[in-house]
Amino acid sequence: MSDEALPPPGPEHADLGAPQLAGPQVGADEWVARQAQRHEHLPSWLGAGQRAAERAGWWPRLALAAVAGLLLPVLGLGGFQLQVGIDALVIALLAVGLNIVVGSAGMLDLGYVAFFGFGAYGFALLSSAKIGTNGIHLSSVLSIPVVMIATGALGLLVGLPSRRLSGDYLAIVTLFFGEAFVEFTNNVSPGVLGGPNGIVGVDTIHAFGVQVSSNKAYYFLLVIVLVVTMAVLRLLDTSRTGRAWRAVREDPLAAAAMTIPVDRVKLMAFAFGATVAGLAGTIFAAQQISVFPTDFDTPILIIIYAGLILGGAGSIAGAATGALVVMVIYDGLLRSPTDSGYLFYGLILLALIAKLRPWRRLALVLAVTAALGFAAHAIASAIAASWVAGGPQSTGLIADALRDWVIVPANPQTAGNVGFVLLVCLLIALVQLKGGWRTILLVPTLYVASFTWETVLSPNPSVTRQLMIGAILIVMMNARPQGLLGTRRVEVAQ
Amino acid sequence: MSAPGQPVLSLSRLSLAFGGLRALSELDLTVGDREIVSLIGPNGAGKSTVFNVVTGIYEPSGGDVRFAGQSIAGRAPHVIAQLGIARTFQSLRLFMNMSVLENVIAATYGHTGATPPESVLRLPRARREEREARELAADVLSFFGQRLAGYRWDQPAYSLSYANRRRLEIARALATRPTLLLLDEPAAGMNPAETHEVTELIGRLRDERKVAICVIEHDMHVVAGCSDRVVALDHGVKIAEGDFDAVANHPAVVEAYMGRDPEALAESG
Amino acid sequence: MSFFFQELVNGLTTGALYALVALGFSMVYGVLKLLNFAHGDLYMVGAFVGYFVIQWFGGPQALHIPVPLLVTIMFVLAAVLVGFLGVAIERFAYRPLRDAPRIAPLITAIGISFFLENAALLLFGAQFRVYNTPDFISFSSGIQIGSVSIDAVQIMVLVMGLLLMVGLRLLVIRTRLGKQMRAVASDREAAEMLGINVNFTIAATFFLGSALAGVAGVMAGLLFNQVTNTIGFIAGLKAFTAAVVGGIGSLPGAMLGGLLIGIAESFITGYISSTYTNLLVFCLLIAVMLVRPTGLLGRPQLRKV
Repeated sequence: MSDEALPPPGPEHADLGAPQLAGPQVGADEWVARQAQRHEHLPSWLGAGQRAAERAGWWPRLALAAVAGLLLPVLGLGGFQLQVGIDALVIALLAVGLNIVVGSAGMLDLGYVAFFGFGAYGFALLSSAKIGTNGIHLSSVLSIPVVMIATGALGLLVGLPSRRLSGDYLAIVTLFFGEAFVEFTNNVSPGVLGGPNGIVGVDTIHAFGVQVSSNKAYYFLLVIVLVVTMAVLRLLDTSRTGRAWRAVREDPLAAAAMTIPVDRVKLMAFAFGATVAGLAGTIFAAQQISVFPTDFDTPILIIIYAGLILGGAGSIAGAATGALVVMVIYDGLLRSPTDSGYLFYGLILLALIAKLRPWRRLALVLAVTAALGFAAHAIASAIAASWVAGGPQSTGLIADALRDWVIVPANPQTAGNVGFVLLVCLLIALVQLKGGWRTILLVPTLYVASFTWETVLSPNPSVTRQLMIGAILIVMMNARPQGLLGTRRVEVAQ
Repeated sequence: MSAPGQPVLSLSRLSLAFGGLRALSELDLTVGDREIVSLIGPNGAGKSTVFNVVTGIYEPSGGDVRFAGQSIAGRAPHVIAQLGIARTFQSLRLFMNMSVLENVIAATYGHTGATPPESVLRLPRARREEREARELAADVLSFFGQRLAGYRWDQPAYSLSYANRRRLEIARALATRPTLLLLDEPAAGMNPAETHEVTELIGRLRDERKVAICVIEHDMHVVAGCSDRVVALDHGVKIAEGDFDAVANHPAVVEAYMGRDPEALAESG
Repeated sequence: MSFFFQELVNGLTTGALYALVALGFSMVYGVLKLLNFAHGDLYMVGAFVGYFVIQWFGGPQALHIPVPLLVTIMFVLAAVLVGFLGVAIERFAYRPLRDAPRIAPLITAIGISFFLENAALLLFGAQFRVYNTPDFISFSSGIQIGSVSIDAVQIMVLVMGLLLMVGLRLLVIRTRLGKQMRAVASDREAAEMLGINVNFTIAATFFLGSALAGVAGVMAGLLFNQVTNTIGFIAGLKAFTAAVVGGIGSLPGAMLGGLLIGIAESFITGYISSTYTNLLVFCLLIAVMLVRPTGLLGRPQLRKV
């Protein structure tokens, strides 16, 4: 039986015949409901690997990931890549902490990044020359726990409105708290907090004479901290506290009727989430040896959310994995155009492989796209040389393949802008169409995508990666709200 | 525990007003130890409101609610639940995405006390409480025989059939170790066979689990089959009280359900 | 004392701006129960539309057409284009999520906001675009009441703002569309069962709300003279504040909230210092939310247990 025959579950397919293919539903037997999910696995041996991983159990998977993470520097990860790894691990830690509030307890905290900042600033103040004549320079064995507890207390404070405010209002209040924090660190007590110039000269992590100062050391430290945090949270999740959080997420009214102190449980979620963020903040401040207000502004919050949503809110592993993937791509796009080109085209290819089956169809689409591209390029160069005067941004393998295929004018900005708008429209249309038409539209979409990449996206990597973050949020929520590693939930309107 | 002879639940002159709307007016109601009291009345009579006030969702505007002698009016819902009042909901409110077992064990929260550090480190108290919670869950779920047994424990609640979901909600309520169980329309949406089962179930609950029960029901077969006493409400006021035959034939009750025509009583049975 | 009135006038002007954005925001929340985080960015798009219209007709120094005509075109075009952009966003991003849990459209809205801001950055670059208002709006330089001066742009903003607010109120109360909007806001399923075309009503609401934001964007360009891709974010936050303080879902509340925030901002900047303005406005919001979550004119939502 061809896998193509079964449509993936999702809102746009809910109107198709067999209801059991639309995913988990109230009253539908679970095995049947999960039937569609079985078909979401990658084909052949990749899918077998996925299934084996799912059967293995949570702890073995964590151990495997930990070992892999620790081995990477040994296997040659260094320099810039190490910094990317460190950034990714910090965001992963933050996503795992945010998962407690959003995933387990089901509350939207849009000011979460302020806890991160509070932890960082707290550590900076305790470990630099800022307070007193020469500064406190507290040993990290003391400063880190102190900051964590303080941030946890702040989390309790910020969580207080959750007792009376429902989801939307809570989101607004926490958002404003986050904004207030940035304004505060920017404008209040510049003598102590440093204003826009932040605090520099922060100590590295030190205790009992040992200093953690090299990037490699911070990488290892972060891997260990992340693994331990995930383990602790997993143990918590499978205990009465985790059950209480999930019950409160499902139905706070019923939870209260079943002896669960809803307000206290919500506050605990905030406190735990904040504590993890505080921890991440301390390590971040120590590694950067400085803190600035802009480190904790909204874009960072959105990246954390993108990671959490991509990986799957409600799943600890999902939060960490999603964040790692997002950050690696986010930082990876800043590399040379050749590397980011590999990333871009590689991701597209991966998406096509995962979604477009059988292989014949994929091959056909690629072949037609290639043919039309070459034809278009030839026509364009015949019309005017300036139309194809620009070349692909990358060098090497990709560039050679693309040079005679993608049209890149001498002045790419305007054409690229048009291409960008056109691409967005095409992608929207692609989502609305089904079946054969969708496959047909895929061809021009691929070409325009490459065109837009070469003309405007690749030359402006810092903007492109932000666009990607926004796109992740939009696409994931519409296509796969449970994230890559999450399980689909049934929501009952209340 | 209430002293012998003392009612488990006692509402005295209970009133609740939402602005100008008087939901309950000077309501007196008692439920004795291991008694089954049915609450009937047309829609909008205030029956669910009584449950909501008793369980702490609403605070009464007047009067008192006493549980085993102590006043619980105005206390928080989770505190009232911990004191020993459990309920089910008219429109089911299960923890849909949690498994059957988790739904039941979650309800043991109020009677356990392991702190997060104890839970994380799996210290003896945490391990013991987990074990005891599981045993309680197994016990409570076994009440329903094979229906909620075995492989069902790990299935998410949403995958259960309607009747099983109703049963699960009762099981979950039982896990809070109640002295008083409030069942809100337990037979809603059920066919005659299932309805009969519910009627027997309520009797068994009282006998085996040693709880007092207050039932809201529209299906008179259930009311007739299980009640020790019936109380009829209309527009937030008690209009009749007594055994089933006395209440069913009471003119005020007939009028509330049927309008002013006593002849129509013959059909309602 | 004249300082007080000057700040009051300034506050009312920016307040009118916030009120318009808050109105659109509240309208959308009313029908969809969605906090449209991308709303502020629609305002930014409107401001850019206005800028490009000026450029199209020759730029601020060398206009081909008379100024009143230019300004009219700016407003109309911004209203229409941003209106349709809003409708498109609703159609493709929010409509599939109508029955999804509330968190889904919220996060999508955040994504759209981020996407719009960066799309503008990609397409238009990071530099501030300048309208050059004082030089080219020369049909009148304003009026003088005592020692309080109100310039032409401020008058226009106040008058237009007032007209739009009154117009919207009339539309919601008197017209059939307004009635449909209120019905959908009250109970979407029931409205559908009564024969109201819910999709159209929601699209119309989005169009109106977004158009208002677009018009406010042009006004902002005329008032503040500078346009860049990030102006939507802070304006959006202030509009939230206004809508929430006034009572979210309540249109008079949004107007009241907008004016209050504008005046509060003006006085804080004038009497204390501009560095603390944003911080204090945010703290004001948090305080209001804690004391009276439904806002000044809002009504609490009832729920059935």
